[in-house]
Amino acid sequence: MPLVTIDGRQIEVEQGTSVIQAADRLGVEIPRFCYHPDLRPEGNCRMCLVEVDGYARPVVACATPVADGMVVHSPHESATASQAVNGVLEFLLVNHPLDCPICDQAGECSLQDFYMHPDYGLHESHVDPAEKVHKHKRVDLGPRIVLDAERCVMCSRCVRFSAEVSGYAEVQFVRRGNRVELVTFEDRALEDPYAGNLADVCPVGALTSRDFRFKRRVWHLESTDAICAGCSTGCNVRIDHFKGKIERVVPRRNPSVNRSWICDEGRLSHEKAQGQDRLLHPRGADGGELSWSEAIARADALLRGGRAGVPGRALLLGSASATNESLLLLRRFGELAFTQRTMDFRLGNEPELVDAREDHLLRRRDKHPNTMGAIHLGFAAQEGGLPLHVRAAEHDAYAALLLVYHPPLVGDESPEAAGALERLIRAVPASVVLTSHRLPFLEAATLLLPVAAWAEEEGTYTNYQGAVQFTGQALRAPGAARSAVAILADLLERVTLRRPDTSPKTLFVELAQAVPAYQGLSFATLSSRSAIAYPPEGRMHYGQEGFAGR
Amino acid sequence: MPAILTRHTDDPEQTELDVAQRRGAYDGLREALSRSPDEVIAEVEASGLRGRGGAGFPTGRKWSFIRPVPGQPVYLLCNADESEPGTFKDHYLLRRDPHLVLEGIAIAAYAIRAHTAYIYMRGEYASLAEIMAKAIREAQGAGILGESCLGSGYDLRVSIQLGAGAYICGEETGLIQSLEGKRAYPRVRPPFPAVHGFLDSPTVINNVETLANLPFIMTEGAARFAALGTDRSPGTKLISISGAVARPGVYEVEMGYPLLELLRHEAGGVRLGRRLKAVIPGGTSVPVLTAEEAAPVMIDYESMQAAGTLLGSGGTIVFDEGTSMPEALLRIAEFYAHESCGECTPCREGTGWMAWVLRRLVQGEGRPGDLDLLLRVGHNIEGRTICGLGDASVQPVRSFIQKFREEFEALLPREALAAPAWQMHGHGPRTGRFGPPGEEAALSDPVEGPPNAAL
Ligand SMILES: Cc1cc2nc3c(=O)[nH]c(=O)nc-3n(C[C@H](O)[C@H](O)[C@H](O)COP(=O)(O)O)c2cc1C
Ligand code: SF4
Ligand code: SF4
Ligand code: SF4
Ligand code: FES
Repeated sequence: MPLVTIDGRQIEVEQGTSVIQAADRLGVEIPRFCYHPDLRPEGNCRMCLVEVDGYARPVVACATPVADGMVVHSPHESATASQAVNGVLEFLLVNHPLDCPICDQAGECSLQDFYMHPDYGLHESHVDPAEKVHKHKRVDLGPRIVLDAERCVMCSRCVRFSAEVSGYAEVQFVRRGNRVELVTFEDRALEDPYAGNLADVCPVGALTSRDFRFKRRVWHLESTDAICAGCSTGCNVRIDHFKGKIERVVPRRNPSVNRSWICDEGRLSHEKAQGQDRLLHPRGADGGELSWSEAIARADALLRGGRAGVPGRALLLGSASATNESLLLLRRFGELAFTQRTMDFRLGNEPELVDAREDHLLRRRDKHPNTMGAIHLGFAAQEGGLPLHVRAAEHDAYAALLLVYHPPLVGDESPEAAGALERLIRAVPASVVLTSHRLPFLEAATLLLPVAAWAEEEGTYTNYQGAVQFTGQALRAPGAARSAVAILADLLERVTLRRPDTSPKTLFVELAQAVPAYQGLSFATLSSRSAIAYPPEGRMHYGQEGFAGR
Repeated sequence: MPAILTRHTDDPEQTELDVAQRRGAYDGLREALSRSPDEVIAEVEASGLRGRGGAGFPTGRKWSFIRPVPGQPVYLLCNADESEPGTFKDHYLLRRDPHLVLEGIAIAAYAIRAHTAYIYMRGEYASLAEIMAKAIREAQGAGILGESCLGSGYDLRVSIQLGAGAYICGEETGLIQSLEGKRAYPRVRPPFPAVHGFLDSPTVINNVETLANLPFIMTEGAARFAALGTDRSPGTKLISISGAVARPGVYEVEMGYPLLELLRHEAGGVRLGRRLKAVIPGGTSVPVLTAEEAAPVMIDYESMQAAGTLLGSGGTIVFDEGTSMPEALLRIAEFYAHESCGECTPCREGTGWMAWVLRRLVQGEGRPGDLDLLLRVGHNIEGRTICGLGDASVQPVRSFIQKFREEFEALLPREALAAPAWQMHGHGPRTGRFGPPGEEAALSDPVEGPPNAAL
């Protein structure tokens, strides 16, 4: 393997690694516009020029493969490279507009950052604003994206994303020289269901996201790492929020799950999670609002009449959108509270869909983030599925129902599932439903408990691959809504007379003990490795016995 | 003067296959097909033939880089884009001896084991494309090209592709992109076309004139070719001469022929009996020579290099004493600003900037420091671009300013010469590692700009 020296530090890398990749691994920061780890290198911006011993001219780090013994000097230590990069930067600014004060990218703009860099930025301007080449501004590229062609640095990241990744190939350059301009074919609106990524890959303020335009200066934002709950892929995202409101959701790079991308539906799914029709207070069958202590007491009474190990059968219906931690507590409650219980999470055929692709890129047909987790926790080990439970309930098989429900954030609940849930609730004498949203088909429940929605509760999801990923809490749940873990802990406390420790770490340790596939996973690896941990023996399949029992 | 390329170009009938064949057309191909491809490569290597497209790279060596991959085709691309200002030599060959070019294509294709060849012609050569297409049809009809060329069992298909009027399509990787139906954005090398070329396959790109030399090398032998010209620049060169000469046109000269001799004899001397001022000897992409510098120069790669310029395409542009060098340079700079493909930053922005500064200079609105600004911009383009167009755009700017500086300075308004540089700018000086203005300057400047006004 070639050994390369960059700014005096050495690293051994695989054949074919580029200088910029080696530098990234060493933590030597090399400025770049066009290079992107998940796009084919094109070497057009010339910002990554470095000096290499024995080479007459500076070379681009992004498109130069390392050779054994290569000695590279970045602009941090080489005056030649620094001068070259400074020259490139000056060229990039020749025709760049003076838009920073009104540009959404300000504060997270590569051009600003590089210009201010003491090692290669800053220079005397030799151009008059009056001399600049003008291009189109505020170009409407459809519902998601707005283009300002003057701010474009022609790095082609968007062009490559569109051609190589999403495959829609909707953006391209026209004209030549300093008149080059980004366009869509015949000025058509973008149809790409992944168009939002265009704004993410754009290193400057040329492509901006319509849902974020002029909303908030980026330096005011707080960020929380999370996992998208839009489907079973489990894309890694970052939630940017301000004073309890989500301003945008952007992808977080994870090479083995979503690389650097997310779909537009997932990006906007927070609009539904934090939407208007949230359930804000515990509510009895009569429609009256309850306090939490009343509500928990009533739930306990409804489910088991205050006794442990009630005879009679209970149906515990989890949700493939609930976290592993809440499913763990739901399961434990079921085991301690009832002598006979049925556990399930299937509202439709999630397990068969979990792996089914919706397109060639990321989207999957199972619109739940934690179907695999529910399977691993044993929620569908028995024969079952919603229609069977409805029939059983209508033959008085169940005395009580405890349902944890989150509506899918992408698309709506299937009419079959909604209808079946409604019938089930009506058929079971006592039904306690934890739900984040007010939904007509849940209205008949004996007791409705408001639960935190996505981004309001932390925990883990297991994606279709079997990757256990940690999703963080960015917001407080609205009204009186509480996390599913907290509500289930209250119910458990009634049974065991001891409040369980619900810290994420403790719950995860218990989870790792409970699921054989998760053994060896630790909370530390979970939160350090960009919130991902893989079960050691790889992915698990539906039908495999995942639960170790108590 | 010995001729290789223009032996029959005076006869308009030479475009007809039977006429050309009576004069030996395709004898070179027959000879090549009787040998192994490697033997053909060796012969061409021994001849010392160097590429006539501009860079002068040894043709045989270029071919030897091709390593056929089983199951993957090899392609030969004939570069007939000829867009370098002052260059019209390929036009001459394509127009007057299409079978010579076609024969060269077939020899090269056979040598590199290609079964498909494309002639990429600039769009403006549409009429030549017809001539060429007719030649291809005739040669195919006669069993020379197509299946089993000349009964040898070797198959070759030759097709023509017309460009749409961009200089960059002559750059080899731009040409490949264009041929693939993409925007002609040159590719970063490595990988080189010999490994990943047209449709990701091993590819050779050769200039029309380069290829037209091959029939002679095959029939007469490498030794006879090498005996022509100089030691390191064997053979002849087509020179297209234009500008202030009495008889502009295309002339074939033996390498090593004196430049001014060509100008005086073949081209009939400077027009209207004027005095020679300067010569660009290899297309606008090479440094200009003053009359004095041009005097000892020979038409070959080494002599040109010794004089600080390049033989390039052999497009020779002559300037007489009446020429305004700044205006001539502006015209050239505008060409590069117009033709820069816009892919890489230094060339995209730099060519336009140089043209902009030159324009205001020529219009009498120059600013102090403009000449140094031009040189600095050139310095920041050179060696930092994806393809050769960036470097090419710098050569005329630097050489014109260096060699005719007084003419440029004379265009600067008098106050611009007197005033310190910073006062002429629209906004104030600011601090920065590369910003030289002194402190007094900053204090006395009436126009204050924000520190990041350049953003
Ligand atoms: C901007 C630019 C334009 C070029 N245009 C041409 C051209 O029109 N014709 C040509 O033969 N070579 C042109 N070249 C050179 C080609 O890239 C290539 O080197 C040449 O075709 C190789 O052929 P040769 O080895 O036979 O010389 C150009 C190069 C550059 C950088
Ligand atoms: S719009 Fe943005 S991503 Fe696209 S080429 Fe321009 S700067 Fe690059
Ligand atoms: S593909 Fe699925 S997980 Fe990824 S962003 Fe879209 S909905 Fe979310
Ligand atoms: S040097 Fe100029 S012509 Fe060549 S790739 Fe860069 S911008 Fe295009
Ligand atoms: S990052 Fe290397 S050229 Fe753009």
